Amino acid sequence: MTRRDDPTSPPKENWVHAALERHEKALTLYALRLLGELEAARDVVQETFLRLCKEHERDVEPDLAAWLFTVCRNLAFDVRRKERRMSTLSDEKAGGLASEARTPGESAERSDDLAHVLRSLAGLPAKQQEALRLKFQHGLSYKEIGRVMDESLGNVGWLIHVALKGLREEVAAEDVARDVKGAEA
Amino acid sequence: MKREKSHADDPRLTAYALGELEGEERAEIEALLEENEEARELVEATRALASSLEAQLAAESAPGLSAEQRRAIEERAARGRGRRTARLLSWRSVAAVALAASVLGIAGLWATRPEVGVFGRRAAQAPAGSAWKPQLSVPANGRYVRRLDFGFGADSEAAQITMLERSGYTGAEGTVSAPPEADGPARRFDRDGDEVELLLRSLGYVDSAERSTEEYERIVENPFFPPRFEPLSTFSIDVDSASYANVRRFLKSGTRPPPDAVRIEELVNYFPYAYAGPGDAEAPFAVHVEVTQAPWQPAHRLVRIGLASRAIDARERRPANLVFLLDVSGSMNDAAKLPLLKRALEMLVLELGERDRVAIAVYAGSSGLVLPSTPASYKVTILESLERLGAGGSTNGGEGIQLAYRVARKSFLEGGINRVILATDGDFNVGVTSDGALERLIEEEAQSGVFLTVLGFGTGNLKDAKMEKLSNRGNGNYAYIDSLLEARKVLVEELGATLETIAKDVKIQVEFNPLEVAGYRLIGYENRILQHQDFDDDTKDAGEIGAGHTVTALYEVVPAGRGLAVPGEPELRYQGEREASAAAFAGELLTVNLRYKEPTGTESRLLALPVRDDGKAFHDASEDTRFAASVAAFGMLLRGSAHCGAATFADVRTWALESRGDDEGGYRAEFLELVELAAD
Repeated sequence: MTRRDDPTSPPKENWVHAALERHEKALTLYALRLLGELEAARDVVQETFLRLCKEHERDVEPDLAAWLFTVCRNLAFDVRRKERRMSTLSDEKAGGLASEARTPGESAERSDDLAHVLRSLAGLPAKQQEALRLKFQHGLSYKEIGRVMDESLGNVGWLIHVALKGLREEVAAEDVARDVKGAEA
Repeated sequence: MKREKSHADDPRLTAYALGELEGEERAEIEALLEENEEARELVEATRALASSLEAQLAAESAPGLSAEQRRAIEERAARGRGRRTARLLSWRSVAAVALAASVLGIAGLWATRPEVGVFGRRAAQAPAGSAWKPQLSVPANGRYVRRLDFGFGADSEAAQITMLERSGYTGAEGTVSAPPEADGPARRFDRDGDEVELLLRSLGYVDSAERSTEEYERIVENPFFPPRFEPLSTFSIDVDSASYANVRRFLKSGTRPPPDAVRIEELVNYFPYAYAGPGDAEAPFAVHVEVTQAPWQPAHRLVRIGLASRAIDARERRPANLVFLLDVSGSMNDAAKLPLLKRALEMLVLELGERDRVAIAVYAGSSGLVLPSTPASYKVTILESLERLGAGGSTNGGEGIQLAYRVARKSFLEGGINRVILATDGDFNVGVTSDGALERLIEEEAQSGVFLTVLGFGTGNLKDAKMEKLSNRGNGNYAYIDSLLEARKVLVEELGATLETIAKDVKIQVEFNPLEVAGYRLIGYENRILQHQDFDDDTKDAGEIGAGHTVTALYEVVPAGRGLAVPGEPELRYQGEREASAAAFAGELLTVNLRYKEPTGTESRLLALPVRDDGKAFHDASEDTRFAASVAAFGMLLRGSAHCGAATFADVRTWALESRGDDEGGYRAEFLELVELAAD
């Protein structure tokens, strides 16, 4: 994800327009990961940008990406909170069903080399996944991630470190498993 | 020192590989890389994995907003900041409900929820083609279909799921789109949303950790009592503040806390208040009572009872014999738990002096002593033992506690502070013993002079009530630590209070004068109510107060003789007015009676303080009272209390803003932030 470094100060609508151009898709993807439903994700992203319209450019521009992701995350959590209030799923049910299915995009035909890091990623705890995505998909720095996720810098470093370590181990284990399979074949 | 550990456990190497280290730390790692091959390989491997992740994540499709949503944003942007047209005036509320409604769609609960109508309202307010055009279609049978697009780009057709929802919705003009193409498998979802949940979980969208197992004891709010029938109100003081940190955690993550997680007295007592201490008086604390208007119910009176204990300089503090009992079970393996715990304890250790002693015991599948009792002057040894701790295994708290108490008794400091500090996320089983047996053990140990402090960490697994109960049994306190800032407040700033008990078994009994009071209600302290006869019974345990601490309790009082109804007052057939004593005619509102024991004493002392109401209006009350009142109102609102009167979050904000005072430490400013979060 590239960053906006334009030093000139365009008129208001251009400024929001540029932000929209640059971050809309990334935010939607991010919100989608948090909410799991595109329409809800879009609503949240729309609200994020509408709130941006109410801000002064000089207040948010230096940290625009972090601002957008933070607002988007808070709004998504609002939605999830309401969701949770309304749907309850008991632990037993949830626990038993947790690990069965994969995303449609990751079903059999995509279980090639390219997908297997992502597959391992999906097995990590949600917070670690979120930190990794913010870092590697959306190009945020540790500091920005800390702001978005409301974590200390140290915690962000820890989350990403543990997540990458987990991924490395997972991927290595899969490689071994495949080699063994290959040898058997 | 880090050298002994595998470099694979050093987050700085990862940060370095990702270009996130600067200055000294960066130089340190570069020096390490010069000489260490394992570290070099780790950096390489991290970078390779990072670029592979970047490439694969970049390939994920991003659907973006709909054209209409984009247009709505650009229109708004063009109008400029802060201006809202009539159409947008109610936007916030509409959006909030609309979002809730879209979520309802997931839960499949349309048929049972009145919010269904919102789509009609939303549609009616938004002109055709606006951003809010819902994707609805109305099949012949009157049910409508809502399409969920999971947005997997080229694969998305396969992932599209059509949900049938039972609803009486009949459509609104110009906003109902044509039925969607039959491009996905139609599925019917159970009313409880299980299938949707399953789907989302399988897609990795719903965090399994969110299936929270947090437990809170049910709180039934204290009702109003008429003093004619119930002249006494008796409770134990409480200096815990864990509920506040917990409430903050919920609000900051965008969630209202469950009502039973809100213990109002703990919210109120989180804040420092500037009550004057006892000075040279004999008692270890001073009592201040102020009577003013209840801001949420202006016809009612608010009685604030404030205790301030004698402060003790850290240098004068008695020597401490501390045994840390740390939960290192698997569930502690989270950035917000063990690493935070380690840093919190580091801060505490750095505050300790050479007369203090520290031991570290851990428990998981088995328990063990990591560091025998060691003088705190050996800071490096202590910090290294902390650093070496790692999480793994299940929890056996019972054994660990026995071990910790054994160590504490062995290195017991006569005349000093002897305390076990239990740090856990509360995922706590006690092996073969029951909870009751564990509580008894802690109670017995408290009598031998070893007290217990419980520090709660982490989220999602918190056995709040259990931890509070344990600390109460151990004559101790319980704090919930969610950030390094909180750790500093509890362990460093309040070190004196956390460690040094200056009075124990502090009980308050208020007697209300029926000639002046028609009804009264203790705000909070529901878990601390005592039997009236226990007040004078010195064998009955109650709360302790630490050095330099304040305790606040609030009563809402319905004044007598003004024809005001007392909410919930029963009509009694066989009871008439009781005859008032001569003292009742002296115009006193109430008398605060207070019992306490010296930390090592067995006999209690009694303080009594008669209080009059001089009719003070709310705005004439002290800043501390006004602030405490706003925190109480905040708690009542969060709990959905029946006694909130006309108060709103906006009122709370105003009262708190006007009573912020100096706000050393910024706690009140943070409170204002929380009020805003809750109001949103």
